Amino acid sequence: MGRFIVRRLLQGLILLFLVAGVVFILGRLTGNPADLMLPEDATAEDRVRLIAQLGLDGPLHTQFLKFIGNALTGDLGTSIRMRQPAVEVFFSRLPNTLAIIPWAILFAMTIGIPLGVAAALNRGNAIDRAAGTVAVLGIAMPSFWLGIILIFVFSVELGWLPSGRMGGPEHYVLPVITLGTFLTAGFMRLTRSSMLDVMESEFVKLARIKGLSERTVIWKHCLRNAMIPLLTLWGVFVGNLITGAIVTETVFAWPGIGRLTYEAVIYRDFPLLQAVIILKSILILGINLLVDILYAFVDPRIRLS
Amino acid sequence: MTFAKWAVWPALVGIATLAAVLPAKAQEPKGTLVFAVDSLAAQTLDPILEQRPGNAVYQAAMYDSLVGFDIEKGGIGPGVAESWQMSDDGLAWTFKLRAGQKWHNGDPLTAHDVKFSLERTMSPKSQAAAAASMRRSIKSIEVIDDLTVRVNTNGTQIGLPAALSRAVAPEGSIMPKAYIEKVGDEEFRKKPIGSGPWKFVRNVPGDRIEFEAVNYDHWRGRPKFKYLQILLVPEEATRIAMARTGEVGIAAITPETIDGATRGGLEIVTVPGTAQPVFQFWGTWRPEAKDSPIAKKRVRQALSLAIDRKQIIQHVMGGKAAMPRPFSTFSFTDSLSVDRWKAWADENFRYDPELAKKILAEEGYPNGFELKFANTALPGTQFMVAVGTAMVDMWTKIGVKVTVKHYEWGAFAPLVRGEQPTLTGWASMYRTVGRPDAPWRYNAAFSPDSNERLLGDTKNCNEDCKKFVELYKAVINERDPKKRTELNDAMVEHVANQWMSIPTIEGMGYYAVNTKKVGQFTAIPGRHELGDVFERVPHPEQKPWNK
Repeated sequence: MGRFIVRRLLQGLILLFLVAGVVFILGRLTGNPADLMLPEDATAEDRVRLIAQLGLDGPLHTQFLKFIGNALTGDLGTSIRMRQPAVEVFFSRLPNTLAIIPWAILFAMTIGIPLGVAAALNRGNAIDRAAGTVAVLGIAMPSFWLGIILIFVFSVELGWLPSGRMGGPEHYVLPVITLGTFLTAGFMRLTRSSMLDVMESEFVKLARIKGLSERTVIWKHCLRNAMIPLLTLWGVFVGNLITGAIVTETVFAWPGIGRLTYEAVIYRDFPLLQAVIILKSILILGINLLVDILYAFVDPRIRLS
Repeated sequence: MTFAKWAVWPALVGIATLAAVLPAKAQEPKGTLVFAVDSLAAQTLDPILEQRPGNAVYQAAMYDSLVGFDIEKGGIGPGVAESWQMSDDGLAWTFKLRAGQKWHNGDPLTAHDVKFSLERTMSPKSQAAAAASMRRSIKSIEVIDDLTVRVNTNGTQIGLPAALSRAVAPEGSIMPKAYIEKVGDEEFRKKPIGSGPWKFVRNVPGDRIEFEAVNYDHWRGRPKFKYLQILLVPEEATRIAMARTGEVGIAAITPETIDGATRGGLEIVTVPGTAQPVFQFWGTWRPEAKDSPIAKKRVRQALSLAIDRKQIIQHVMGGKAAMPRPFSTFSFTDSLSVDRWKAWADENFRYDPELAKKILAEEGYPNGFELKFANTALPGTQFMVAVGTAMVDMWTKIGVKVTVKHYEWGAFAPLVRGEQPTLTGWASMYRTVGRPDAPWRYNAAFSPDSNERLLGDTKNCNEDCKKFVELYKAVINERDPKKRTELNDAMVEHVANQWMSIPTIEGMGYYAVNTKKVGQFTAIPGRHELGDVFERVPHPEQKPWNK
């Protein structure tokens, strides 16, 4: 198990280095923040001076090596726009994103897993088709569209919920539904297919032969085993939520790291963008490592291989 | 005296006391004015950390500027300084400050604060947009007495008061010397104090900035609301929804959503004279572009005649825009015969596709020609892209075959610098904002050593280019107001006749207002944002401001 974790950590470090390189180069291909900051009457000298002030002068490889050197000491640079350490900015917004993710996952699991079980138990009939439709809609509906529709219906027309921003529990409802709907479809589809696999297993037949009630067979034996692949999916989903909450956070004016990423791109805030991507990558790698370890515990075949 | 008579006296005294107290109570600030914007830019309350106009919406609430607004017609007016005068030799400006101004901690605002602020804005640590031009134009700053400050300039700087006014950008923001020296930059950024009608309460990164009204009369006006919250709500549909539900009182919107906001029961407040989306021609003076059709003035004029500006105003801008004046001139432009240029623009910016086709035929292009067009929009005026798209359609109708390339502004801006190889021979969208001083923008667009250098560079400055340089230098060195107006008119005329940077419309700032939350007010012409307006915004039941 120790070797497994060490191997995973080493792979993660290599991946982080590659991510840092790609983000560093791609960010600079899109333009220079100095061009967005300078007024119309700025001279070439003004531009050179500002670029030096922003620490964006010198050859790219020198900048990159300096960046990596600093990163190894935990310094991911200073946000050009906010003039604060990029790591500090990231961690000031992270709790806002993390505040919404567990609720979105809970929402998705509460709806998606029972729906998947129902679809598997009623394979091919109307319930299965209805659940399939829900899954397709969940995946196909763009979250910005769903979010705006929810705001229109529940905030503007019915006046039941606030349109956005962080606040009390009522502020969480619409963002959680918007963020969770996509996941609901994923949980539903995977639960259904896992359940169908498990329901064909020999141990399930044995359980039925032993005379266990259908309720016990389904909810205790089938679902418990069908949950193993869901564990992997859970890790992927949390990663997706951390990286993919940009749209939901933008629509609902939620000051999390999704919107921070968007702002960093728009303002060509290279240090912040690099920090955000690298720190998100670390988070995702960490979550995936955790899931892999849990998976190895749950399924001895992984651990032994 | 009867009991009844004795009883009347206390009652009368009570009524008189109430009458004295009630009006004052009625004027006490109350409630919260909530304003939603699409961007809070750097979201910093330190004016030297980025002074682009986007910041002014929240910095202006708590800081005063050395020179302020002419609130009624736009352009510059009194600010921290109530008057200013150029020295006889033209090498200095003296600013007289209004008496009795104070910081939010109670300290008096003096000329020492002004000197400190301008020097801080020009210092190496400053990222203020105009820091570089201030370093070039300001030689030194002297405190004459507590209410008088003298700014010595490098050469004659006619435009200095405008450059230090809120009518341009917040570069003239005055900061508290004693406080910053005592607590340091970092602490000042966390707990800033200013001298404006709103004092800082809280800055929540990525979410909002909160202010509280000062509890004394301020020369900009005493706020009607007790609190001001400026919210960052990037998605426009959400901003409108929040305005409709009353979660915000005022929401910044774009022309595309005016109809929807109006249908939703919101009132639209527009700000006149904030910007001109223009189309301009790049590097036409370069040898490699000499055979290009757009190197000919009349062809460029024909492209202007092919544009139906009224259609664009009606259908792209939702009817909430105006016919433009010549390049970078507005109703409030300083030292300019603005009425003359209004008449000129009405005539010369007319829609006349037949004349356009005739000119093209006379210039040797009876079947049109191929034009490359870079469509782009500066931050805050995304409608420029829609204006550009409409123009392309109109050019097609006179036979011009247009190849359009869309650029995000961050990708377009670098193309303007250096030798402009990508842009040479192209037309593109561009923008000029509502500054009161035309020469500044003319210099940035047409001087041979400028970035845009639309008429020529220092090595290739033809007669038109030389004439512009001569007129520009004469304008900025002329101290007599009448002669300066004449020279300004001549410079504008010369450039207008080049048809090199051509206004399409006069764009505006747009705000959706929930009239159940906010009373009637108007914005200040030329300023896209409402930073200096918040203190004048009334409650719905109060008397409208400036209506």
